[in-house]
Amino acid sequence: MNATRILFLSAACLSVAATAQAALVWEKTTIELNPTLGAPNAVGVFKYENKGDTPVRFKSAPRTSCGCTVAALQKNEVAPGEKGEITATFNIGDRTGVQMKTITVETDDPQNPTTVLTLKANIAQLLELQPAFVFWQAGEEAKPKTILAKAGKGVTLKNVEVTSSSGDFTAKVEPGAAGQFKINVQPKDTAKPLNATLTVKPDAGSGPAKVYYAAARVMPPGTAKP
Amino acid sequence: MKSLLRQTAVLIGLALLPSIGQALYYRDKVSWQTPVAASEMLTLAQARGAADLIWIDARPEEEFERERVPGALLLNEDRWNELLPQVLAIWAPEKRVVVYCSSESCGSSREIAHRLRKEAGLTNVFILEGGWEAWKKEKP
Repeated sequence: MNATRILFLSAACLSVAATAQAALVWEKTTIELNPTLGAPNAVGVFKYENKGDTPVRFKSAPRTSCGCTVAALQKNEVAPGEKGEITATFNIGDRTGVQMKTITVETDDPQNPTTVLTLKANIAQLLELQPAFVFWQAGEEAKPKTILAKAGKGVTLKNVEVTSSSGDFTAKVEPGAAGQFKINVQPKDTAKPLNATLTVKPDAGSGPAKVYYAAARVMPPGTAKP
Repeated sequence: MKSLLRQTAVLIGLALLPSIGQALYYRDKVSWQTPVAASEMLTLAQARGAADLIWIDARPEEEFERERVPGALLLNEDRWNELLPQVLAIWAPEKRVVVYCSSESCGSSREIAHRLRKEAGLTNVFILEGGWEAWKKEKP
């Protein structure tokens, strides 16, 4: 029994030791970023050091999990004792909430050939339209429908300006609950198909100027009810 | 009997050590994405010949411009606000919206599908199994 236990223990120790002998040591493999409201991108710098005895070569350019993230290698080969970094730039675009993007790095280090670096970005939202789409069935009573414009966390909305791309729809704004505005959208009639894009410009004082869009439609006759 | 149980427990514990070590060491590699429910997926076989589909391409614009599913509309998170109205302008409740991105592993199709349901309130939104790679390999 003792022999079996020793055997298992040895196997366990060997296994753990084998994974711990990577030559390229990363300071952090996950970086969390909180870009400012309206920032176009978020940048994370992953630092490494070659703590082994032999040079480590990157086999290829880092692969990112999303076309929205670009990762740049500082050098292709890292000498023993040398330090370096990979800069990852995540283009935020219209993304919101928690975004996780990975960067896969491949080296010729046999102990640790692949490393996955994670960029976690918490993207603050200026405005949320709920819903971003209102529609009427053909022949439905042309009553106003409401789109709620909600301020993002930590944002104070002073006003919301809405314009309709078509005179077939009117959009009136009225203050709602704290930090919210009601956009009441109404078609002139519902006898024929109509379509409009509503351009929503929130005024958050000194915050970034960003435009949002919502849509309003009168569906063609014969359209199924959702 | 007690001793046998104790020894068994110790052996199981020791056997688990390497996997625990690996799990801790590679904790960042563990996928955080919850699998998409089968009911939210559409296979190429299901898409074959269907006339009630609205195709949404969630890839970056340059990939969309290069090649896409015929009739697909571009809608990605780079320009979500600006691109959403064109999708809503052709949507109809009886149509199924099918979103695809580059491959099985890309996450943008599920993000777009999620936002179409949550923000635009659309129903019947599906993700193409295998994404663009699968489409290109086996055009329906």
